[in-house]
Amino acid sequence: MSVTTEKATAETPGPATAPPTRAGGKRRSWVPKWALATPAWLWFLIFFVAPVGLVFYYSFGYKPGIFDTVATDKLSFDRYVEAFEPNYIPIFKNTLQISIIGTFLCLLVGLPFAYWLAVKVDPKWRGLLLGLVLVPFWTNFLVRTIGWQIILAPDGFLSGLLQDIKVLSSPLGIDKTRTAVQIGVVYNYLPLMILPLFVAFDRLDPTLREASKDLYASRWATFRQVSLPLAMPGVVAGLLLVFIPLMGDYITASLLGGAQGTMIGVLVANMFQSAQNWALGSATAVLLIGFILGTAALFGAIGMIIRSIVRRHRRIDLGAVA
Amino acid sequence: MTDRNDVVNVLAHPAAARRISRRAFLAGATVTAAGSSILISGCGGDDEPSSGASAAPSGELEDQINMYTWGEYDWPKVMKDFTKEFGPDIEVSSYNSNEEMISKLVATEGTSGYDIVVPTGVFIPQMVENDLLQPLDLERIPNFENIGEEYRDQPWDPGNGHSVPKAWGTTGYVYDKNHVTRPMATWQDFIDAAQNEASGQTSILDDPNESIGIYFWSRDEDWNTEDPAALDQCEDFLVNELAPHIKAFESYPGSSGIPQGSYWLCQAWNGDARQGIITSKENNWEWVFPAPRSELWMDNWCIPTGAPNPNAAYAWINYNLDKDVSLQTLSWVGYHTAVAGIEPAAEEAGIERLDMVFFTPDQVATMDAGEVNNSQQRRVEIANNMKAAAVG
Repeated sequence: MSVTTEKATAETPGPATAPPTRAGGKRRSWVPKWALATPAWLWFLIFFVAPVGLVFYYSFGYKPGIFDTVATDKLSFDRYVEAFEPNYIPIFKNTLQISIIGTFLCLLVGLPFAYWLAVKVDPKWRGLLLGLVLVPFWTNFLVRTIGWQIILAPDGFLSGLLQDIKVLSSPLGIDKTRTAVQIGVVYNYLPLMILPLFVAFDRLDPTLREASKDLYASRWATFRQVSLPLAMPGVVAGLLLVFIPLMGDYITASLLGGAQGTMIGVLVANMFQSAQNWALGSATAVLLIGFILGTAALFGAIGMIIRSIVRRHRRIDLGAVA
Repeated sequence: MTDRNDVVNVLAHPAAARRISRRAFLAGATVTAAGSSILISGCGGDDEPSSGASAAPSGELEDQINMYTWGEYDWPKVMKDFTKEFGPDIEVSSYNSNEEMISKLVATEGTSGYDIVVPTGVFIPQMVENDLLQPLDLERIPNFENIGEEYRDQPWDPGNGHSVPKAWGTTGYVYDKNHVTRPMATWQDFIDAAQNEASGQTSILDDPNESIGIYFWSRDEDWNTEDPAALDQCEDFLVNELAPHIKAFESYPGSSGIPQGSYWLCQAWNGDARQGIITSKENNWEWVFPAPRSELWMDNWCIPTGAPNPNAAYAWINYNLDKDVSLQTLSWVGYHTAVAGIEPAAEEAGIERLDMVFFTPDQVATMDAGEVNNSQQRRVEIANNMKAAAVG
């Protein structure tokens, strides 16, 4: 993770000039090249493609009786009609709101931190600090979230502290609310934002920043016009890494959310578990997948449009300077 | 419906109960006789070697038990004692509703790996019909003789062919008297408080039938109705009038919500409510067994089909039916364990808050057992719509 700039630049040309088989002429391997990826694609086939395929298949089925979970002898789109039930719209809206706000809060907190860690911090401390970012991952996700339950409780220590220092006059009332979920998700997903951002900033050639300063750009202009655009792939990766799992989150919402913080993941789990209706649960899960892809695509499109506008704007600027 | 009334009668009127369960008593007596002839020494309380021998007449105990049960339903100390005495380690996972447990058993088709499940009585007939439970050999549970007569041979499992009682209890509510100051005695009081001073600070059980129950119990109507019009009205009430005031759907507020002060008003099962009140630092919680009607449920020890450690499972069930062990369990979980004579024993032992464990015959007469009927899917749908409405 803590690849320094020198190493990164030294390594990048590596794979590009790599194919020795072609250069070596006749020494062709008997094993096809894709064989190296066999464990990976087998894994994906068995544990990803097959179950997701099954979920798709079940989503066209129905629940035949109280004690049967799913039947697929008659296939229809009826479950999708049920899943589009107007009653569930508040849950979809809630999920989207928590996810978008959560993702941007992660970016807001993660971006300056990652920049500071990659650019400003003395390299000898960098590994340690990065390790500290990862420390929460050493503890189970569930346990960490239950920890927040205790912190945010009305008689928890945060509530006591805030009352002691007279910030609050009555016990803290945010457990089992949307706000609690919002806090929980930012905490749970922040490292997923910081890591790709750190890598992106870490790979920036410092000489580019120096060049920018040499051209009399302010610090802010250097960040905005040099560092940030070059780190954009990291920003996009971070946004996706946080947004996608957050949309499907189930643990944070069910532990911290109460009635108000219900997200689609909770609804899907409910349909599989208490309702025992795998067909409806599957249809809702497929809708969720579509919803995530749709939202990500929408934001992608907005991003592209903004970028093209900015570029056009900037080109004019450059033209004026020239 | 008749089944339901039978259950009430069985628990309500000792005279009637004796009449109804004579058959069971005879069956039980035979079992006991057969059991003790094998055991020679019988099963005298805590006497380890004898009960150890009794537990496994037909096989060595395996070294593990996987138990799938309700939350906080066994005292960890009792489980440790069992492991110390007999060997098998006990792994526990818990569920929030019968539906959740059943769906897991159905999905795994006998490969769930669980040795013990604890369904509520009314769910047993269909679980048996769907081959989810093994027939029980009562000869391997000699302590079955400790079960009170009125709790044996229930309509949903005649002759205890597939289950033995674990505990029974009811549904009521607790409120924080610092915030709710009106007199509280009925389900209507619960609803009024939830819509007013406890709005946004109320939790209800995360179980479809329990939410639906609030509506029917408060109106003194049959909560097992299959009448679509009645269920529509119930849905309208829950979705539009109750859901907006609900803070959380939580099956075990006693484990953290009550002691942490997360709510002011909680629907709760009596034992869980008792645990919550006992662990609260401040003495601000009141328990209400609400009028005019409420629920009566009985959970039962069962061994699922395909259980990998049946001998250890039998030993564990038998251990729990021991009078002393049963009293220990009661002191912690706070539910009547259906063992005969447990009430005087608990009073003598000075166990706290017994008013939340034992109920008078008059109270029991207002409790109705649930039912699993054709409206089940509709009920789950109502609960889901209520949850969606609570997001607001």
